[in-house]
Order: sequence, then C-alpha cells, then structure tokens
Amino acid sequence: MVGQEYPGVETATRYVFDRLGVDYYINDEQSCCTGIGHYTDIFEGLTTTAIAARNFAVARRCGYPNITCLCSTCYAINKEACEVLNTNDEVREKVNSIFRERGFDDLVYEKGDMNPRTNFYHAVEILLSKVGKIREEKKFDFSGVKAAAHHACHYYKVKYLDVVGNPENPQLIDTIAAACGAAPVRWYEDRTLTCGMGFSQLHLNKNTSLQVTKTKLDSLQRAGVELMIHMCPNCHIQYDRYQPVIEKEFGVEYDMVHMNIAQFVALSMGADPYKVCGFQTHSVPLEGFLEKTGII
Amino acid sequence: MMPYVNEFDTPECKTLAETAKKSIRTPESLGLDRCIQCGACTASCPAARFTDYSPRQIVKKVLENDRSVLGSEMIWSCFYCYSCNVRCPRNNSPVTIVQVLRQMAINEGIGVEKLAYFLEIGEYLAENGASKVPGAGIKNMERDLGERWIGMKRNLEPIRSELGLSARDVRNTHGEVQAILESTGYFEREKWIKARIQEKGIHGFLKTNCTENKKNSGDFGFESDREYTGQQALTV
Repeated sequence: MVGQEYPGVETATRYVFDRLGVDYYINDEQSCCTGIGHYTDIFEGLTTTAIAARNFAVARRCGYPNITCLCSTCYAINKEACEVLNTNDEVREKVNSIFRERGFDDLVYEKGDMNPRTNFYHAVEILLSKVGKIREEKKFDFSGVKAAAHHACHYYKVKYLDVVGNPENPQLIDTIAAACGAAPVRWYEDRTLTCGMGFSQLHLNKNTSLQVTKTKLDSLQRAGVELMIHMCPNCHIQYDRYQPVIEKEFGVEYDMVHMNIAQFVALSMGADPYKVCGFQTHSVPLEGFLEKTGII
Repeated sequence: MMPYVNEFDTPECKTLAETAKKSIRTPESLGLDRCIQCGACTASCPAARFTDYSPRQIVKKVLENDRSVLGSEMIWSCFYCYSCNVRCPRNNSPVTIVQVLRQMAINEGIGVEKLAYFLEIGEYLAENGASKVPGAGIKNMERDLGERWIGMKRNLEPIRSELGLSARDVRNTHGEVQAILESTGYFEREKWIKARIQEKGIHGFLKTNCTENKKNSGDFGFESDREYTGQQALTV
C-alpha cells in the first residue's frame, strides 16, 4: 500500500535509515503479506501463512532474517503467521507439502526457523532505538510544533505483549517526534480509537467508517493539533485522503496536516519535502505547514 | 456448502466454540471459555459506538452455540481493530472469533456479496506480488477524492521515478506466489465465491449500508474531556 499511495514513506525511511547507519537490504523478491486480502476475508489463513513462509525464506536466503515493516498490518500478519508455523504442526506440514510439490524446496519452513518476537520489527521501533542519533542529526528544529501521534492498531493491539512500552498508551511516535523538537500532545480524547478504515468497513459501511475518523479529527482539532503523525499506510489513507471528504460531507473544517513518522524525521534531518518525502502524493496539502515552519 | 471449505479457518467441530478455538484465525491461548460477559470488549469497540454491533453478544451466542449468529448482519460490522483483543481481561479475542464466524458464513454462501469488492486482490497479488486498492474501491475513491487523487494515481510512475524508486511497484516473485495461490486452493475458492455472487444476482450492493445505523452520537467523552486541550508528552 505504501508503494501505491505514499511512495515517499519508503524513500523517507531509506533516507533516515542511511543517516542512522541502519544496515538494511530491500529485497524485491518479498511479496505483499496480503493483510489487505486476509482482513477483507477473501484470503484464508492457510494461504496467508504460506505467503508469509515464502517471505521468511526470502529474508533468510539474502542474509537479512530480521524483517522490518513500514505497515502495521504486515507486522502483525508476519508475527502471527510465524507463531502458527512454529506451533501448529499440521499447518506447517501442509505449507511445506505445497512447497515440495511445487519444487520450491528452498522455501520449506522448519519449526523455529524464525522467532515471532525477535525477527519482526516495525520501522518505528528501529527509529526509537536510534532516537539519540536522531536528536544529533537534527538539522531543522520543529520547536513548538504541536503534534499528535496515532499509533496503528495492528502494531499495539494484535501482539500486545511485544509492544515497546505500554499497549494501553504507546509513546513511540511521541518520543521520536520530541527528539525532532516537536511538542507532542500526550493524551487527547480517543487517542486509542482506530483510524476508522476497518478494511472492508471503508467500502461497505462508509458512513460508520467516516464517523469514526471524524470523532478522532474532532478531538485533535479541540486539542489544537497542527500535525498528526502516523505509522501505517492504511491509517495514512484514512486520515489524509478522507479528511477533505469528511470536511465536505459533514460540513466541518480541520486545521491539521498528516505525515508518517519517517517523513517527519527525514524533514528534521533536512530532506527535500518532494524529492525524498514525496508530499506531492498527499491529499491534504502540506505547503502551509512547510511554509510556516520555514522549510519552503 | 462450499466444496473447498478451508479446514484450518473453520475446522468442523460439534460446536461454534470448538471451531473458534481450533481455528488458526484465533490465538492458541484463546480465553473463550473464560469469558465473564463483562462487556469490556463492547465498551472499547468503535463499531459498537456507532452501530448496533456488540462483540459481547456475539461471544455469548458462540458460547450458547446459537448458529443464527452466522446469518446476522452484525458480524460484518467489525473493524478488525483488535481493541477488544487488547482490553479483554480474560484473554478472549472477539475480533478473531468474528473472523472465524465470517469464514463460516462464507462457507454457507452467506454475505459473499460483501466480498465482491475485494476479489481482485488475489489476482493482483499473484501477478505483481503487491497490493493496491481494488478496482471497485478505486471508483468509489475517485468519486470521493476527486481530481487531485486520480491525477496523482495517473502520475504515479514519474513520481516514483523522481523518488528513485522503480516506476511500478512490482515484485520479483519468480511465479512462486501464483503457484502458492493455486496450490492452497485459493483460486478455486475465489471461483466458487464469484459464482455464488452471480447466483445471488446482486447489483448495486455497493450503494447500500450493511448495518442499521442507530444514529448514535458516538460521544463517550466526559464533559471535562470536551474542554480538554491536550497535555504535553512526557518522553524518554
């Protein structure tokens, strides 16, 4: 979804990882995890698990077995699939029999090949681990920018025991944003409410979906937030693409703009808002924010 | 009944509760039997806030083995946000139980029309190794989001190139994803679902709302919260 809607999130993450000295490899043999198919109910668990097992083999084969996701749903899907492959012998055997039958012997998954707790990360966790360096690399100071974080549901509500911090009130984005000089709002009403996308809900029950999003945007407006920072392309679509739709359909106006945490860190390190952050693909124009903060 | 029932999502058992516990959609440690009907799930649920959806009632029906729940429109309202999963004090997970119920409904041809939107995700994944908003969704989004968005979509290749990415987001899966989808029975299941949708002859389903909207305000906030302007973060 990042590649189709907000390619700047990928380039901003690369830009930031390069400056933080993160050793990473982007492998175009990795496929989509198909969380979008899994959570719209058209993919069954076996197919989702087999796709994941293939991606695990690809990661191990290239010597980079720690998988880092830009999307919270990929993160959750991979962790869950890994757990199923390690604990459910019947499913693992079925997946492996498919691989063998097709001649994909190099994809075969042996129990314990991956560890659901230590082989899977969300990019925001990598950024948090380097927060000291982010502070050092700061070329541009966002002092006084009132920012609010939306932590993605599938990062902290699915495998909640693995969250860095308290799953009832995760602070990863806040901590990173503060290192860039921003003033994060610690709590706003409905902080832990979903973005409202709800996979099929945006398309099947659009009215309810947008009501949820509106509730969140209303709360941010009351808290005087000018920048909302998220960590998942699905939330990003819901907030950035649908804010203008909600304004029109519900007759309201909002003052906040949206971006991914990697885009925010990249800006703070002096990245170009268009050639690196790719803001030209956003729906809520960022020019006002960029001018006010002196970037353009 | 679907000839390609996915035995891992919906293993055949005597009761709904047994199927839910055995399914690979739910965690191994699922605390279904430990449910005390406290309602923490419903209290944290975005769908319950705006519609007549109730995860607590769904869990109750599963425990009572009331199969009428499969035909209930309610099961199609869940956002899959996992708020109930994180908040349940008994390690139950209504969100994953609902996933099993939807799969069981689909096996019986119930609610298949709701899948029409998303069916091309599989073919696109097999061909490109990537995902995108499905075609029908594109049309809806085009209507909602207008010229700016569709202009960006048309212009995506030069934008990606300018960012230093490949013009199109296509993965090099050596045909393995296609082969996996063939071997797991995904395509056969998809064909079966398509045929059921055609049989039902449902047109214009996209325009209708699936749930009765209770016109709830969704306002859970305390009076004092409404005035609350937010507090600065304590960061580490």
